[in-house]
Amino acid sequence: MSGLITPFLMQSAVQAITPILLASLAGVLCGRVGVFNMALEGQMLIGAFAGVVGSYVTHSAAGGVAAAMLAAVVFSLILAYGATIFRGDSVVICIGMNLLASGLTAYLLRVMFGVSGTFSDPAIVSLAKIRITAIQDIPIVGWGFARQTPLTWAAWALVAIVSVVLFKTPLGLRLRGVGEQPDAAETLGIDVRAYRVVTVLVAGALAGLAGAQLSLGAVSVFAEDMTAGRGWIAVVAVMLGRRNPLYAAAACVLFGFADAFSVKLQSQGLPNQLTDISPYVVTLAALVLSHRRRTRALVSPEVAAATPGGMAEPQADAR
Amino acid sequence: MPNDGSLPTASPPAAPELSATGIVKRYGALLANDHIDLSVARGEIHAVMGENGAGKSTLMSILYGLQQPDEGRVLLRGEEVHFRSALDAIGKGMGMVHQAFKLFHSLSVWENIVYGAEPRRGVFIDRAAARRAVADLAARHRLAVDPDAIVSKLSVGVRQRVEILKALYRDARILILDEPTAVLTPQERDSLFAVMRHLAAEGRTILFVTHKLHEVMAITDRVTVLRDGRVVERMTTAETNPREIVRAMTGRSVSLTVEKGLSHPGATLLEAIDLTIAAPGGKPLVDKIALKVRGGEIVGLAGVAGNGQSELVEALVGLRRLDGGKVLVGGIDVTDSDVAARRAAGIAYIPEDRASVGSALAASAADNLAMGFHRTPPLARGGLIDAAAVARRARALIAKFGVKIASESAPVGSLSGGNLQKVVVARELSHAAPALIAEQPTRGVDVGAIEFIHGQLVAERAAGRAVLLVSSELSEILALSDRILVMYEGRVLADVPQDKANEETLGLLMAGRAPEAA
Amino acid sequence: MSAAPQPDARALSRWRPPSAAIAILFAALVGGALVLASGVNPAEAYAQIFMGAFALDNWPNTLNWATPLVGMTLVAAIPLRGGMINLGGDGQLIIGALVAAIVAIYLPGPGPLVAIAALIAAAVAAGLYAALAAWGETRHGVPMLISSLLLSYPAVGVASYIVRFPLRDTTTGLPQTALVPEGARLMALNGVLNVGLILIAAIAALVLFVDRRTVVGYELHMRGINLRFAGYGGVRLDRQAMRIMFVSGAIAGLVGAIIVLGSQFRFIDDVLLTPSYTWSGLMAALLANGEPAGAILAGLFFAALQTGGFAMQRETSVPRVLTMVLQSIVILFLAVRHGAGKSRE
Repeated sequence: MSGLITPFLMQSAVQAITPILLASLAGVLCGRVGVFNMALEGQMLIGAFAGVVGSYVTHSAAGGVAAAMLAAVVFSLILAYGATIFRGDSVVICIGMNLLASGLTAYLLRVMFGVSGTFSDPAIVSLAKIRITAIQDIPIVGWGFARQTPLTWAAWALVAIVSVVLFKTPLGLRLRGVGEQPDAAETLGIDVRAYRVVTVLVAGALAGLAGAQLSLGAVSVFAEDMTAGRGWIAVVAVMLGRRNPLYAAAACVLFGFADAFSVKLQSQGLPNQLTDISPYVVTLAALVLSHRRRTRALVSPEVAAATPGGMAEPQADAR
Repeated sequence: MPNDGSLPTASPPAAPELSATGIVKRYGALLANDHIDLSVARGEIHAVMGENGAGKSTLMSILYGLQQPDEGRVLLRGEEVHFRSALDAIGKGMGMVHQAFKLFHSLSVWENIVYGAEPRRGVFIDRAAARRAVADLAARHRLAVDPDAIVSKLSVGVRQRVEILKALYRDARILILDEPTAVLTPQERDSLFAVMRHLAAEGRTILFVTHKLHEVMAITDRVTVLRDGRVVERMTTAETNPREIVRAMTGRSVSLTVEKGLSHPGATLLEAIDLTIAAPGGKPLVDKIALKVRGGEIVGLAGVAGNGQSELVEALVGLRRLDGGKVLVGGIDVTDSDVAARRAAGIAYIPEDRASVGSALAASAADNLAMGFHRTPPLARGGLIDAAAVARRARALIAKFGVKIASESAPVGSLSGGNLQKVVVARELSHAAPALIAEQPTRGVDVGAIEFIHGQLVAERAAGRAVLLVSSELSEILALSDRILVMYEGRVLADVPQDKANEETLGLLMAGRAPEAA
Repeated sequence: MSAAPQPDARALSRWRPPSAAIAILFAALVGGALVLASGVNPAEAYAQIFMGAFALDNWPNTLNWATPLVGMTLVAAIPLRGGMINLGGDGQLIIGALVAAIVAIYLPGPGPLVAIAALIAAAVAAGLYAALAAWGETRHGVPMLISSLLLSYPAVGVASYIVRFPLRDTTTGLPQTALVPEGARLMALNGVLNVGLILIAAIAALVLFVDRRTVVGYELHMRGINLRFAGYGGVRLDRQAMRIMFVSGAIAGLVGAIIVLGSQFRFIDDVLLTPSYTWSGLMAALLANGEPAGAILAGLFFAALQTGGFAMQRETSVPRVLTMVLQSIVILFLAVRHGAGKSRE
């Protein structure tokens, strides 16, 4: 084991976890208010692109992060209004958003920078790493966090903040109620749509941060479809974590390690085509294990909820 | 007597607590409320009666701010109010307990009650204060609940108390109770009535929406009857009688009993032996139930909703896996068969939820009526469907059952509850299956359709078929059944012949008390 | 109520322009703004798309592009008709393509028989892989919406590995297999077109027939409208889900096989997924809410749009990925305004 978990592995694991974690927090918030957000992939991609553009234009990483959040929030208006005021099907809207993000970033890449595939430029300032020499020799956690971007720290702080807000404050109680039983919240005078719209937009900002970490964190480059399924892994983390930020974070840690191990296996000579799939295989396995023998009814509510026309994502267990 | 309180309520005082005048509400071409006037005095228990679709729900939604009237005025203690949302109404002292409870099931009692008006300490919820407030309120109004209990684990009666506490927490002066007794045992109902009297005595005003006559007679001071969106009668309870109210509601007098003649039971056509359905990590939902229904009899399955009836029925028809026991149809073991095979063996099934189980709302009446007949001649041959035969059959059934629909190719989603139920009943009865399971067959349908459906069930019995009638409506069970089984917490507590059954004994059984103890 | 308006007047007031037309118009406006931002006259760009798609000389190109796209439209439309979404078309297509290449290259025998065997093997392999997602949902409660997509990644990764290492044609230096023997290739019809076009057209016709006239089609449609109603009526839902997904995946496998045997003659890594047939097909199916005739029409429309995109890129320097943007705006507009994909309520 000692040879397996090295400072480098820990560092790359924590780095890999960050964007998934931020995106899954976005998914948790949306899920809590009853909006099934499958558009995390697209929101992240928009954030990643805008992050690079913002950094390129302002010559500062902060400018990039701000642009990433802003763009992802604007993009999220589609889901925020489409799935609430206009009562569209969130599954279809999210599929459309993911494709729009993919097409739009590729289009803008060509139009704005005249390149296709990837875009990098010395003018793009990447996120500075916070070096904490005091912890760099502490095994595991210290190795992981000694040299990370501010967004990594922000992500873990947000896990705590989102948990406290959800479970300790009036706002959190209201959010949870809006997702679980919107008409009950309505009869108590809560503007369900407003809560949903604002929550989806805030979640959009988080997904934008996730995108910025992706394009400005370890690298300073935008590549077409560079999210490469991370948004979907975040969606699964939300499901596995039953919309609880702490559990979702635990799922993200699992996937992050799978990712880091695949990098390690690659360095030991395995072809990357095989190692790259390990996060997805772990994800699928986790899904199967967590869902086994959930319900005896032949048409389970979860299954019905995950088909088009269904309202929200699978409920947390129906105690 | 209607009111044991100390406040005088005999006649409406000059400035009523609540008055609505000329309320009009339209939904497209439908006039749901047609110039309704309503006046209620302080401390009064006032019944609002009417059939389904008479406009009661619309009126209550308007009074509670969930809908806005197209015309008319609402006055509270003489002052005109314009509710644009429930929040406005709550702020003016309105409270409402909806028929389908509006509770957050995964949250605790206190979270449900303080939701939207939470006591705070800094940015956090003041948990201790919230729990204390709820406990005090519960004690003061004799509504026993545990503030920390999770709502999903509470019985229906307790959930209703939570709903009432929600309104009282917001200091509701006027409480709207929408069909509050529909899901209660008679004993729970009586304790609700005690609470209502207590609240009225405190000077709170109660609008009691119901269609149950004896309850109106038992508890209310005055009655307003709606029909087709209009007020047709205003009465003082002490000066009227059930027959008059029915006439006002329906515009005709209706026989409340069903003529059905003697039963001549034959062979057992539907049988369950030790049928068990386990619950994940709890006591079984259905616990070793034995059940026999013979040809030519109607067996009533009574019980408060949620005591395992739905699960039992799903297991009988094959929509749910068993954890033990057997199901026999016409003497043949069908335990390992799926829905299609059980239907072929002779089960027809009118499900509780006609809209989400019994029909496909976006599909045509023809497609709805074809389900279950669509694999075999005359509707299908060699895997191909004969569209003309499907349409022909649908037209015949629509005519025979008097379904009011433009054509067989119109979607059934636009039909009224009663007409949609007729489509379901028509399809299931046309199977002429030896065993029929009818689950809440008349819930939410109008009086005319109730009479029709009851007649059909009696006709099935006369034709020698076995009918299992599952209903939480005791009057329906008593009127139709030859034998009555009472289900409580997954078990059958008693098997009572019709002539030995009455509302009181059944009510005690439904509350879980064994006959000896009663 | 008694004074009802004239019937025809009422019908007229209820008439609305087809929502798809409004959506396309809306997408054209937004897309036009994007084109304008890149410094090109939108009218010119759209004219190029139209000419590129429909000029007589370009018909074969459009049809050639439509073959896989309409195929993948059916892949999405069949489950969607039953209320399910198959997001795993990419993986299924890849498996079909790889299996077809392997069978065609390594199976000895007369060419046409080898081609048929390759097509069948591709369909079966991809169908089984798709059915795996349905099995996960019915047996383990893992939502197919997610699992079908996640299953794509391992399929694509493993195929990529196979073509880069064990089965690589080392003579070319590119990640691709050896060439399919000439005899096992699909017969060419006219220029770029091959028998694959006829095969997909036949499948489309068959899907339409099954949907409209058969017991299977009726049960699928009822499932799509109300899952619980179908189960209550005696449809064996688990088995039906597996069959639907098998058929859906099998068609995806055939599409992959047709590309390999009909136009590329070898399995080349990455090339199959670049045109995004899966996602265009899904959008076409969503546009018609899974109704096969509408979906096929939408698929043809998207194929024309994309073929025209090549001409636009060539003539005006507007990137043809604009057509993907247009497609997604159409579907978003419909989803938001008219609840596309929503079958219940």
